[in-house]
Amino acid sequence: MKMEDMPLSGPDNTRLEALVHDIYSELVEDACLGLCFEVHRAVKQGCFFLDETDQESMKEFEIVDQPGVDIFGQVYNQWKNKECECPNCKRLIAASRFAPHLEKCLGMGRNSSRIANRRLASNNNMSKSESDQEDNDDLNDNDWSYGAEKKAKKRKSDKNQNSPRRSKSLKHKNGELGSSVGSEPYKYNYNPGISYETLGPDEVRSLLTTQCGVISEHTKKMCTRSQRCPQHTDEQRRAVRVFLLGPSAPSLPDGDPVGESNIFDIPDGQTLMGRLQWEDSPDISPTDSASSKASTNHSDSRRPKKKKTPSLGLNSGGGGGGGGGGGGSLSGGSSSSQSNISLPTKKKRPKLSAPSITSIYDDLN
Amino acid sequence: MSKESRMRATVNQKLTEMGERERLKELLRAKLTECGWKDQMKAHCKEVIKDKGLEHVTVEDLLVEITPKGRALVPDSVKKELLHRIRAFLAQHAT
Repeated sequence: MKMEDMPLSGPDNTRLEALVHDIYSELVEDACLGLCFEVHRAVKQGCFFLDETDQESMKEFEIVDQPGVDIFGQVYNQWKNKECECPNCKRLIAASRFAPHLEKCLGMGRNSSRIANRRLASNNNMSKSESDQEDNDDLNDNDWSYGAEKKAKKRKSDKNQNSPRRSKSLKHKNGELGSSVGSEPYKYNYNPGISYETLGPDEVRSLLTTQCGVISEHTKKMCTRSQRCPQHTDEQRRAVRVFLLGPSAPSLPDGDPVGESNIFDIPDGQTLMGRLQWEDSPDISPTDSASSKASTNHSDSRRPKKKKTPSLGLNSGGGGGGGGGGGGSLSGGSSSSQSNISLPTKKKRPKLSAPSITSIYDDLN
Repeated sequence: MSKESRMRATVNQKLTEMGERERLKELLRAKLTECGWKDQMKAHCKEVIKDKGLEHVTVEDLLVEITPKGRALVPDSVKKELLHRIRAFLAQHAT
């Protein structure tokens, strides 16, 4: 025992120390007594030995401390490579992908309704033959963009095979020429864009006069926003009109691309008005040519010009009645008349065009 | 002697009245649980009970078996701290 320094005298000090120790002993005995009471009560109530049942059970549930196994003795990644059969679609799905697959397959969960709506929309847009059950199922599992890309690839190949005739036949199927977007609600309602494959030249033309029309990379659909939509540049819009109206146009009545090299597509009055809105942007010509796609047979000739013509189209509309008159007639037969008119308007156009375009006209002239 | 016993009585009385005794008890219990003394003692109890038989254990039996071992098993640090506190109390309040 340590003897502390105390200012008291020896015997007092000793007595004090003894007292301290006595008090300490009392406290410790108190603690022991408390523990005894606790244990005795537990024993009498039968809850003292609860954590020890019997030797066999103890051995069975002992903590396992081996490598590769968790404390229960289970291999923790045992089900990594297993496959489960979906009760809904009867497919074999990897275990780790099973829960998300079920979510989509059963139509429950947070994203399933969104994906279903998107799928419906894209299915409505595509022809029935293109989308079969397998594709839909794949859409269930994968990102919608992936599924759309698959469809997009198919669509692209289809378009290359038989574009002009196909679109024409579909156009007749759909009924009226130059049907606006509203006339085919079942096609366009849910779509963020329009599939250009199924549209006839007149429809495309009319669409392109009012809409942006830029074809999205992954959905292969035309943008339905206005022609000033911020998502797409005028360059894109022009390129789309080149793309759509150029190759798909049937044999031109004027025929000769060379002869019509000076001819600019004179868009509809509608188109012209649309173009007029674009006066700020220099590259609007593709839209002009796109809008007059149905009527224009000089799509080939237009293409190179289209890049230069956006302002030209505007100029024609804004520049003079000649251009406007030429633009007003959309029929294919009027192309020649248009071409005639376009020549004078062409001259007028540079005035209205942006400086860059005037330079282009200079090159042409 | 009586003086001493009187002094002791006074000290004890003071301890109790001022609540210091309770505080010291709680402190000791907490420290003993913390350092594992309680679990050790419980294991010892189990052995005693297994020896004596589950049905016939009494509190006195347990106490007799437990107390000596308990006293011995208190860690030094706990003991020192308690002694220190008691001395401090006495120094503060003793006559």
